[in-house]
Amino acid sequence: MNIVEISTGNLYDIEILPVDGNDYKFLTKGRYFFNWKLEKEQEVYKLLIQGSNEILGVVSLERIPNEWRIHIRLITVSGENRGKKKRYDKIIGNLIAYVSKLAVEEFGELACVSLKPKTQIAQHYIEKYNMNTTGITLSLEVPEILDLINQYDN
Amino acid sequence: MDESIEHGVDSRYHSKEEQESESVKLMQARLDRMKNLSKGQVRSAKLVQLKLKMENYLKNPVYDSHNYFTDFLRIYIDSIYSKHSEFAVDMNITPVFLSQLINNHREPKDEFIMKLMIHSEKAFANVCDFQEENWYQVYFQEKICDTMSNREKWKPKLEKQIKLGKLLEI
Repeated sequence: MNIVEISTGNLYDIEILPVDGNDYKFLTKGRYFFNWKLEKEQEVYKLLIQGSNEILGVVSLERIPNEWRIHIRLITVSGENRGKKKRYDKIIGNLIAYVSKLAVEEFGELACVSLKPKTQIAQHYIEKYNMNTTGITLSLEVPEILDLINQYDN
Repeated sequence: MDESIEHGVDSRYHSKEEQESESVKLMQARLDRMKNLSKGQVRSAKLVQLKLKMENYLKNPVYDSHNYFTDFLRIYIDSIYSKHSEFAVDMNITPVFLSQLINNHREPKDEFIMKLMIHSEKAFANVCDFQEENWYQVYFQEKICDTMSNREKWKPKLEKQIKLGKLLEI
């Protein structure tokens, strides 16, 4: 899995790891958009360039085994990767692909990843990640979830 | 679409009621969509699941005596074939050999694993990027984990046979 430095086009291999207790000192609301300390009891992952300590993206999730589903609770990029002047591309996509891998590994052909964005950005997620819409919930299932994994898992 | 909006989503449910209501609607829609899945799409999902399970095992080895290689082999066969005997025919092995292998009554030979690698290369083509050598890695990882988790059983007996005479003189 990799991300793209927009200014150079260079690709950087990334790793996605569980957030540990020390990370919460750095996961401030100013830089990472949400109060991540409230997610301490959840399953939370961070995205880093391999060999770097700088957290570029974070996702928290809830596994719902009786629905063969993983629901994304919060997902964000770091401050400098927001907006038109962002440094790296593909951070959110890699995080969604990672959650998709967790779901397919656990639930196989029944796997589902869901999230519930606000109306104004839902269309972006539908178009970019080929998500299905049900009410206010967007979801990835087979076959789209496999396409997304293949797209990012290289 | 302006990609600058892609900076974060707060997707938490506001209440238990909202979650339950959305869950019911989502499940109904998913069940409807699942009816349209082809056998090929289901098979692809199972193969990707197997690949991810094997990769996870290699990254996070489990130190016990469980037979992961044969577990993965069984999942692989069941993902593709309705009968194990069909796999045996395609692999040019006897059903008896396959049965003994799957039931852990015999070890896989090199030739079997090599054939399995060739079979996997073909089965995973157009599904996902599968490293066929993972079969070998799983097999040896399992051997290492099995040996190390049982060291209390084999070490005392073998330790008596090992000397470091010359080395200790220096």
